[in-house]
Amino acid sequence: MNHYELTLILNPDLASKFDPYKEHFESVLSQLGFNIHYCENVGIRELAYTIGINKKGHYLIYQLDGDPANINELETKIKYDNSVIRHLVLKTDTVTESDSFLTQDTKEAKKRAEERAHEVKLKAQVQQQSKPTPSETKVDESLSEEKKDESPSGEEESSTTEETTPEKTESENEEQS
Amino acid sequence: MKKLALPENFDHKNIDILKQFITETGKIIPARVSGITAPEQRKLTKAVKIARFLALIPYTDKQI
Repeated sequence: MNHYELTLILNPDLASKFDPYKEHFESVLSQLGFNIHYCENVGIRELAYTIGINKKGHYLIYQLDGDPANINELETKIKYDNSVIRHLVLKTDTVTESDSFLTQDTKEAKKRAEERAHEVKLKAQVQQQSKPTPSETKVDESLSEEKKDESPSGEEESSTTEETTPEKTESENEEQS
Repeated sequence: MKKLALPENFDHKNIDILKQFITETGKIIPARVSGITAPEQRKLTKAVKIARFLALIPYTDKQI
């Protein structure tokens, strides 16, 4: 019996099929005599480089206990599984039964992405409201701060076009006469 | 970047610590520059290479 850490990078397009896939995979593991200590579902992360055509991957980390003789069979099964982009089996000394830094990092990245998307949405709303009535000052309190930032830049349109051409023509006329 | 305390064992999943020991282009910084001991550097190198294989940190900045 050895301790193993199995990392799978799954195709992010699985989406709704993920839960049945996970169940199926865990049944395969138990068939091969592996005892699942802990399963860390990291979630969809951006890959540091593209693997095939994938820019994102669903990370899944298993802490296993099992017979070393069955590792090869497990690897061949994973190898011919189309929904696994990449996999790695590591032999470990101890079994960790807690989420690693990756899960936390992925959650934070997801939160940041959501906040960014929310800000973009708010800005788009403010722009839509300010376009038809640019001089309007009564906006909701939540939107007022962002509007203050944007309103001066929109109104400050310099209308000082220098009229030099008529002078030139006059001087030219004088010279001609 | 804020300097993080060195762990007892380098873990390939803890990429914030690993990122302190790679350059912008993705190379591993030599121990004589970073000042960590030789046994630490050997563990670090292993962890970085595993993290690279799992696409957690890049091999190079030229890959897209």
